[in-house]
Amino acid sequence: MQGIIGVFRELDSTVDAVHALRKLRAGDIGIYSPAPRHELEHILHHEPSPVRLYTLIGGLAGATFGYWIPIWISDYWPLVVGGKPIPSWVPYTIISFELMVLIGSLATVAGLFVHARIPRITMTVGYDPRFSNANFGIWVECPPERQAEVMTTMREHGATEVRGER
Amino acid sequence: MATVARPDERARALPPNIPEANIQLPGVDQYQQVTDEIARTLYPTGAWFAGLGVAVVCMLIGLGAWMWQVYMGLGVAGYSPPVMWGVYIVTFVFWVGIGHAGTLISAILYLFRAGFRTTIYRCAEAMTVFAIMTAGLFPILHLGRPWKFFWLVPYPSWRLIWPQFKSPLVWDVFAILTYLTVSSTFLYIGLLPDFAALRDREPRPLRRHIYGVLSLGWRNTEREWRHFARAYLFLAAFSTPLVLSVHSTVSFDFAMANTPGWHATLFAPYFVAGAIFSGIGMVFTIIIPIRRWFNLKHYVTLNHLDAAAKLCLFTSLVVGTAYLTEFFIGWYGGNEIEQSFWWNRVYGQWWWAAWIMLTCNVVLPLTLFWQKLRRNTTWLFTLSIYINLGMWYERFVIFDPSLAHEFEPWQWTAYWPTYVDWAILLGSFGWFAMWFLLFIKNFPVVAIAEVKEVVPPVLRVARPVEGIEVTGMHLEFEPETPGERD
Repeated sequence: MQGIIGVFRELDSTVDAVHALRKLRAGDIGIYSPAPRHELEHILHHEPSPVRLYTLIGGLAGATFGYWIPIWISDYWPLVVGGKPIPSWVPYTIISFELMVLIGSLATVAGLFVHARIPRITMTVGYDPRFSNANFGIWVECPPERQAEVMTTMREHGATEVRGER
Repeated sequence: MATVARPDERARALPPNIPEANIQLPGVDQYQQVTDEIARTLYPTGAWFAGLGVAVVCMLIGLGAWMWQVYMGLGVAGYSPPVMWGVYIVTFVFWVGIGHAGTLISAILYLFRAGFRTTIYRCAEAMTVFAIMTAGLFPILHLGRPWKFFWLVPYPSWRLIWPQFKSPLVWDVFAILTYLTVSSTFLYIGLLPDFAALRDREPRPLRRHIYGVLSLGWRNTEREWRHFARAYLFLAAFSTPLVLSVHSTVSFDFAMANTPGWHATLFAPYFVAGAIFSGIGMVFTIIIPIRRWFNLKHYVTLNHLDAAAKLCLFTSLVVGTAYLTEFFIGWYGGNEIEQSFWWNRVYGQWWWAAWIMLTCNVVLPLTLFWQKLRRNTTWLFTLSIYINLGMWYERFVIFDPSLAHEFEPWQWTAYWPTYVDWAILLGSFGWFAMWFLLFIKNFPVVAIAEVKEVVPPVLRVARPVEGIEVTGMHLEFEPETPGERD
């Protein structure tokens, strides 16, 4: 993986630089920001996060399991009282609800990990410690022959530092 | 959302009122400032070591008392039939309740977009996790053979015996474990970007490595933020019904029993409101010293405290209404046993406990109708101590008089906690304080990334970008409210 990384101080400079780099079609663009910003989210026009599907599937699985385990246990050791059905749906709903929340939450975290690609073992390429503090950043993954024009574009749009990394 | 007041606007003396929950941070205007000032709280001081020492000593006193109880048996805990639930169940419910305000502030107020939560939610969330860790000890402490606690968990044992899923005590196990897991997850996920910020500025190699591992390689990319925001939203959405269900489930421990004073459908909402009320009290107890000692008054402003005090007042009114409803139903229901019980609760052997409860939880919080008192940190801190006291006594008044004054007059008895009970209660505060003190010196007490969201970013030229007003903020300009700079 090789490309160009640019450090920006201003938010609007970063947005302008991304617009210009998109027109350049030099390679995949990644943006860094110390805090989530709608402006940066909008310019890349990504699809909505699929994490919600993990939440839905995890929640449904948890609710199903939460009903299944007490029902199975009731049937496994049946105690017939007054001729009533052995499983008691109403109290089992509490177990089902709790497991829906538990499994749904853990599935949501799993979705975050999968799609945000964390945990990440190495972070030497395409990152600068200033991005978690006060600076914005742009990473363009591009071949050596396109790097010069990418660097020029970043500088034109106010990058305080531009460098190649591999 | 924060913004900077224009001088001409600032000159106009506005009444210190907050029309909405969107409280701003005029004393904070740069990302760098946010990271530096919040990270500065991570260096231990002499006072912190002293506090930690006191907490550990208190915890050891509680641990010693528990070991004595294990050696001697539960008789040293002051039980006398039919009162077989005493200080331990009272303290269990007290600590579960303390945890609820954390989730309310971090999750429910997040869904409602209440801006005043931004700078106080981290402390409240940590408080939740440690309060649940403390609460979870008490059912185990209450066991004659505590090493058999895992019998409550459904696992395939060789005896082929499973827990009784119709029992509220088993519901409790599921509710508390789920609450602890989800609260811890919510806290940790929210900390990820802050761990990355600390990793990138930490000069000490060992701490940098630890923060690096804890941050999971977080890089602040747009991709990470996008999925993070969605995951955080769903975790908040799950935590919201969870917080309501957990204390409802705890209330079922009592409401399912046919005992005077317990067998009421009011219990679930009554317990939830009381839990949130007590938790907000504990938030004040914690956050007011922290903002003072760590010099964070421009992050946790008087406006934040004012808004939280309004929430405190509201929940106090709900709790007061629940008390009155209980008394009314006791009288209006026409059941002699209930009427006798209620008379005993207010004028019987524990009359003083009932009146402590009513004074601390209903009468004193009425002072929060006055704005001057809502913005007086000394009064808020003092009131929070009274609320903690009152809410502990509320649980005492609910549980023990009921057991001591059941259906048969010959069974009526007295109960008074022993030194073992008091020592374990003290130990629980030491345990909670120890974890909290360790937290505030190793993790940021204010959410760095979320505060940066409300701080205007640096712009080259103020102008709209991508259809969003980038004058620094997403929201329109709002004038500064007096008191924000404290």
